[in-house]
Amino acid sequence: MTRVTTPDPRPRVVAGAEGGGLVEGRRCTACAEVVAFAWPACPACGGPVEPARFGPEGTVWSATVVRVPVPGRTPPYGMAYVDLDDGPRVLAHTGGPVPIGARVRLVPGGDDGDVRVEVVG
Amino acid sequence: MRVGIEGVGTSHFGRQPGVDLVDLAFAAVDEAFRAAGGPRSVDAVWVGTVFGPAGVAQRVLRAMGLTGMPVLTVENACASGTTAFAEACEAVRSGRYGRVLALGIERMGDGAITPEPTDPEGRSGLALPALYAMAAARWLHEGRVTPEQLAAVSVKNHAHALHNPRAQYAGRYTVEEVQASRMIADPLTLLQCCPTSDGAAAAIVGPAAPGQVTVRSVALRSGAPWNHRSPHVWGHDVVRDTAVAAFAAAGVGPEDVDVAEVHDAFTIGEIVTTEALGLAGPGEGGKAAAAGRTALGGEQPVNPSGGLLSRGHPLGATGLAQLAEIVWQLRGEAGARQVDGARIGLVETMGGGVSVLDGNACVVAVLEAP
Repeated sequence: MTRVTTPDPRPRVVAGAEGGGLVEGRRCTACAEVVAFAWPACPACGGPVEPARFGPEGTVWSATVVRVPVPGRTPPYGMAYVDLDDGPRVLAHTGGPVPIGARVRLVPGGDDGDVRVEVVG
Repeated sequence: MRVGIEGVGTSHFGRQPGVDLVDLAFAAVDEAFRAAGGPRSVDAVWVGTVFGPAGVAQRVLRAMGLTGMPVLTVENACASGTTAFAEACEAVRSGRYGRVLALGIERMGDGAITPEPTDPEGRSGLALPALYAMAAARWLHEGRVTPEQLAAVSVKNHAHALHNPRAQYAGRYTVEEVQASRMIADPLTLLQCCPTSDGAAAAIVGPAAPGQVTVRSVALRSGAPWNHRSPHVWGHDVVRDTAVAAFAAAGVGPEDVDVAEVHDAFTIGEIVTTEALGLAGPGEGGKAAAAGRTALGGEQPVNPSGGLLSRGHPLGATGLAQLAEIVWQLRGEAGARQVDGARIGLVETMGGGVSVLDGNACVVAVLEAP
């Protein structure tokens, strides 16, 4: 795998008060758009943004299992777009397959930097 | 000023480990110049490539004696070739240059595209098949498409390529065989994913002259944010919006299109795209493929060349390969895959890979027979 020297662009997940993870993102003070990234301006309108945390729970919008080799990864691995409650859509690792519509919870960030969710209940 | 296509050309498409990019590019440009006639010179060149190293455009052009004139290299992911075409057309239309070469080139090397580590989703391991797979899974969940309809796109396009000697792959498959091929990213199997290809394609454009295929319109847009607020799957809205702009400028509608080459990097891509273009109604894209409406001999053939799925997908070359097919179709030169009496042709390419955007760029061109 090519050595990457740029800063890690993935969303940062911190531990929330109730055990789940929270994504450190931004909310636009002009149009209320939310993003899972600490970007300097709103991607929807260019307006000013303020720090905001989203999660820990959300709903799977769609999901797949990657079964082909990807540098630095061992297939198969599950991925999902998760719509966080009152928050943005985030791409998360799921381990195995998860059904669309499943309720999931962010797992506080691990050493590998991946956003990860687990099915609730 | 109406822009005309003086000539088009392509290389063969496929894994061509012994063939240098110089030779791939020359095959395309030489054929385009032969078709165009006249001097083997142009006033400017736009080159589309994604993975080409720095200087690749000038490196291949100087090997065929095209030096001195302005050379501009553009990158818009899978839409790089069509972006080069769009800019070449605009340069002619505006009078900036008289005769312009648009060239798409790509060597994909030995494997699939690896996720871009400077992109959040790329760094997270989102291989491109997985992005399309999640669109497919969502539409399956919503009942907007069936697994058999997804597979039908692959069956159709591989069968089309039987009549295209430049195609990377071709074959007569059944829906069951497509579904039984190796799973890449659920629910997309191997035969529902485009191959890794090397190739080049070219077009020479200038002020329209009698006897030429002409450009009724060409539109280019980049994606707006795609997120939890988006009503559609990834890539739908940027294609729809680009198509609306292209049709408005062309003065025709989707019902007028006789033949189309669209971005079918994955089977779900063709289905989403035919709906986004308006060639099929909402929920009708999969049915159109399964019923043969978009097959050669059907009402509105889509991807008669075999598409990206079967002709191959050398990224920077793809858009101009699509354009070459439509030009041949509109000139009646498409041989055994000819769509009889095609008058209006459409090219659509969509490139993606940047997180949180509904595509890096989409180009839609509407062309008219001589």
